[in-house]
Amino acid sequence: MKVCIATGILSGAFIALAAHAAMADPIEMTDQAGREVRLEGAAERVASIPMPMASTLIAIDGGVEKQVGMNPVAKQAVLEGILGKIYPEAVNIPSDITAPNFIPNVEELAATNPDLVVQWADRGDDLVDPITNAGLTAMLISYGTEEKTREYMTMSAKAMGREDRIGPLIEWREDVASDVAGKASAIADAEKPKVLYLQRAMETLIASGARNNYNTWYIELTGGTSASADLEANGVTINPEQIAEWNPDVILLNNFESDISPERIYDDPILSLTNAAQNHKVYRMPLGGYRWDPPNTESPLTWMWLADLLHPDVFDYDLRAEMKKAYKTIYDYDLTEEDIDNILWIDLNDGAANYDQFKSKS
Amino acid sequence: MSMTEAGARLHGGAGALRAGLFGAMLAALAAAFIFSIGAGRFSVSPGRIAEIILQWIANPSAPLDSIDQRIVLLVRMPRVLIAAVSGAALAVGGAALQGVFRNPLVSPQVLGISQGAAFGGALAILLGYAGVTLLGLAFIFGLAALVLVGLLARINGRTEIVTVILSGMVIGALFAALVSIVQFLADPNTSLPAIVYWLMGSFSTATWARFWLGLPGLAIGLLAVWLFRYRLNLLALEDTEARSLGVDPDRERWYIFVATALMTATSVAVAGIIGWIGLVVPHAARILVGEDHRVLIPASAILGAAYLTFVDTLARTLTAAEIPLGVLTALIGAPVFGILLRRHFSKANQP
Repeated sequence: MKVCIATGILSGAFIALAAHAAMADPIEMTDQAGREVRLEGAAERVASIPMPMASTLIAIDGGVEKQVGMNPVAKQAVLEGILGKIYPEAVNIPSDITAPNFIPNVEELAATNPDLVVQWADRGDDLVDPITNAGLTAMLISYGTEEKTREYMTMSAKAMGREDRIGPLIEWREDVASDVAGKASAIADAEKPKVLYLQRAMETLIASGARNNYNTWYIELTGGTSASADLEANGVTINPEQIAEWNPDVILLNNFESDISPERIYDDPILSLTNAAQNHKVYRMPLGGYRWDPPNTESPLTWMWLADLLHPDVFDYDLRAEMKKAYKTIYDYDLTEEDIDNILWIDLNDGAANYDQFKSKS
Repeated sequence: MSMTEAGARLHGGAGALRAGLFGAMLAALAAAFIFSIGAGRFSVSPGRIAEIILQWIANPSAPLDSIDQRIVLLVRMPRVLIAAVSGAALAVGGAALQGVFRNPLVSPQVLGISQGAAFGGALAILLGYAGVTLLGLAFIFGLAALVLVGLLARINGRTEIVTVILSGMVIGALFAALVSIVQFLADPNTSLPAIVYWLMGSFSTATWARFWLGLPGLAIGLLAVWLFRYRLNLLALEDTEARSLGVDPDRERWYIFVATALMTATSVAVAGIIGWIGLVVPHAARILVGEDHRVLIPASAILGAAYLTFVDTLARTLTAAEIPLGVLTALIGAPVFGILLRRHFSKANQP
């Protein structure tokens, strides 16, 4: 009897295993820390600890069903932003798998039973070892350049078995980038405005510096020069005097500070005298599925937005139409006119130079 | 020549030396002011600066249209003045506490005030507040730390110095832990960098509004300690001796603590934690003018003002990025303090 049951269980398990193996081939890849990642099949349950990854994974999968855990700050952004409107069920995704500091809470993480955990590649082993020691599979990603962005997007799609979706997303990035670069190549150096991206501006002024960072990259792509390019590091505090010395032609405000608006610059005794403020070229960057300032799945929209602003005579992207197209592809969502106005901060940026082009024509 | 005549002459000589020393210190302060107004990332020629300041003195209400006028009058002037007053307050606070505790290694951090104020400010940044709210929370928690120290240290109606120091350590550790919790909860993409930078100390957000907001607390504290400069000499005596001279050491110590808390919490509120000033400057002042608090307090104030003005100018001009002030004061302060300490004790130990 016992033997019979054991045989039955064994053969049942064997059949299940065989069926599983037939259903899903193992997935193997090298992550951005150079580690080998192996999954038995497409990950159905994914937990992400880096903040920007939550919206990236949702975009690549085209839904929130596979998200079993994310950073609490990322979840807050999802719920408050347009993703929460597109996917109301996101409210149920656990966010106690980590504190905002990216250190995994292994017990909670294991309890969500993830097939794959996404974590930072370049912030030390202490953030990774607890995950792998718990027997979970980690995929490490690194942040900051367009190349890396495409790489981790592709990796994520492969891991979730959504390679069908990644092709169009990457092609779109390539197409827009090369189209923008092509048109921008005709712009003479003297015509390139000096653009300053302020990562923070409410209390302290923090400029994103460094020649090779992502903000500098898209400022240059769209036919501008970075005002803060001579800073040695990223995200450093500067003073108003330094901004006066740079005298930028355009100031871009971040989405990390929720209350920020161009008035911050126009009301400042020093910053209001910069070329940017005098010519009303201070803009708060749009906030869509994720903040448009750092690399994200909607980045091509950032590039078109900035290109239209910096050189309306050279570029004429129909941003609202492009946004509708993109959101349909990425999230299978039809943006309303009001959604678009909110994402582009039409009210907040009202009156700024060249901003009327983004207003609804209807 | 009688003994009294010789004594008088000697005293006169010391008085002249002291006057000369104060003259030199005031000259150093004036030099720090001129250097600071002139230096900055935006280049304005010295002639133009003089012109701007003279125009402003002649007609303070004239509109400021050009950017160099605004930079000199709206950015550098308030910043230099806040730095000077904060420097004076931090140094005087240190000198007063060192007198009260009869220990040259004491500083406002010892009473937990800085940590309390730091928690208030960090909490404000975490909750997304800036400006007056940040200032207010830093100040409230700085004073709260002091009150907690007072409650904890008061045993059977008496407050012993050793219990005050130990209570200060306990409350300081408590608030340091609370600061850590705030940092733990902060969003690494948004509020955390701001909290970390603010905790390292900086005058980068100086404006006239902030100067006028911070001035009352700093000035009242400075004035209070200056009025107590004679009493501080008595507090430096043994308690029984002080009592026999008609001083209630318990009560008077608390006056000093409250004045110091007011100054420290205000300075943390306007500029974050700037360490080492309260330790290094009074020590230098003591070497120059001696232990007498009647001269030590004003000397600490002048030196503190000159020193912090100068260091802040380095912080905002050396690189395009602002160097956190607390980092610079520690980098300069620690070795200077080490040298002062060795020199002081090698002299004291001479046979």
